[in-house]
Amino acid sequence: MVNLTVNGKLVQADEGEMLLSVIRRLKIDIPSTCHHDAVEPYGACRLCTVEITKTEWNGWKNYVTACLYPAEEGLIISTHAPEVIELRKTLLDLYLARSPGAALIREMAAEYGITATSFQKVPDGDNCILCALCTRVCDAMGFHAISSVNRGHGKEIAPPLKEPPPDCVGCLSCAQVCPTDFIQYKDKGKTRTIWGKKFKLLTCKDTGRPTITVEFAEHLSRQRNIPADYFEHDHESHRRQLALTLGKLAEWDRKE
Amino acid sequence: MDKRFVVTPNLCTGCRTCELACAFSHSVNGKPGLSRIYPLSAGTDEAWVPVVCLQCENAACVKACLVDAIARNPETGALELDYDRCVRCMACVAACPFGCSLPDDQHSLVVKCDLCGGEPVCAMFCPTKALAHQEICSSDRKSA
Ligand code: FES
Repeated sequence: MVNLTVNGKLVQADEGEMLLSVIRRLKIDIPSTCHHDAVEPYGACRLCTVEITKTEWNGWKNYVTACLYPAEEGLIISTHAPEVIELRKTLLDLYLARSPGAALIREMAAEYGITATSFQKVPDGDNCILCALCTRVCDAMGFHAISSVNRGHGKEIAPPLKEPPPDCVGCLSCAQVCPTDFIQYKDKGKTRTIWGKKFKLLTCKDTGRPTITVEFAEHLSRQRNIPADYFEHDHESHRRQLALTLGKLAEWDRKE
Repeated sequence: MDKRFVVTPNLCTGCRTCELACAFSHSVNGKPGLSRIYPLSAGTDEAWVPVVCLQCENAACVKACLVDAIARNPETGALELDYDRCVRCMACVAACPFGCSLPDDQHSLVVKCDLCGGEPVCAMFCPTKALAHQEICSSDRKSA
């Protein structure tokens, strides 16, 4: 255990615990757009930046990303110091120049009093803020289907050679975690399309409702030993079946 | 674990009080959540079964989760889903052979019974004691 001060309050944390988790535990709200508990911290968005100092630093201060900075004895943290607010404002101003269409960016910027960017608009900007949460989650799921390509201005998230990614199983995790809803997919009838790849959706034998993709189910059966017939029904049909089975047992009980 | 969540279908009248209790105790941002429990017809008229997660020993949802978001709470025995870890891939929803991981489309979440952290609220409100949270001796069966 180490002792820290967050916004004037004395708190304890596990040594090595990231500051963001300490701050969240205190229910202090700071933006942490590129953070997700399913993956390692990455420090891409910089929005979780906080001010740190120590008594022995003689007034020196540092600005660090809370998601990547481990707790250590004697740290004095300020999550909303004027310099931190300024920094966050500049970042949001820049994000607004690139991704003005992203609702989350607009909302966060508005919270910090910015409604329009003061920078020149990025001519071919889009809603991707390049936080790489999608690629990291895809890696954590074990698929490695997408990655970031190119550098600088041309950087973007894409499948290899920008072709339908062979390793994608259509689980949609990337789209689900995307903070700006940039990743598009389409479910139409029994077909799902994402990253330019088409998937067949399994459908429930009773209700006919689509569930997950054939490829994803096969992966789960193969890698995680889930019997393939578990995937033949949707959850509602499974529930009804369980009710009938338990109902029969209950009936025997009544007759006993 | 000396207390168990016990379901006795023969006592269930299908009143759906459990459903209300669950939805309200799992509210999201002040709005009722999706109920993790609800009574379903047991096949014959008047026979109901409150269907809820069985907290399986070797659970398919746990095996299916590729980011380890579902884990047993050693204190309550419940398999709890960590919302901050979940990536909503729907693997657990598809894999559970009892249909007890549920997609809450309204709040873009996957939900399952967490035994309310040890004191199931549905059992507190069940008027007929079809759902009960009680001390259990090892010879008792039908425990869920
Ligand atoms: S959450 Fe820390 S840099 Fe994005």
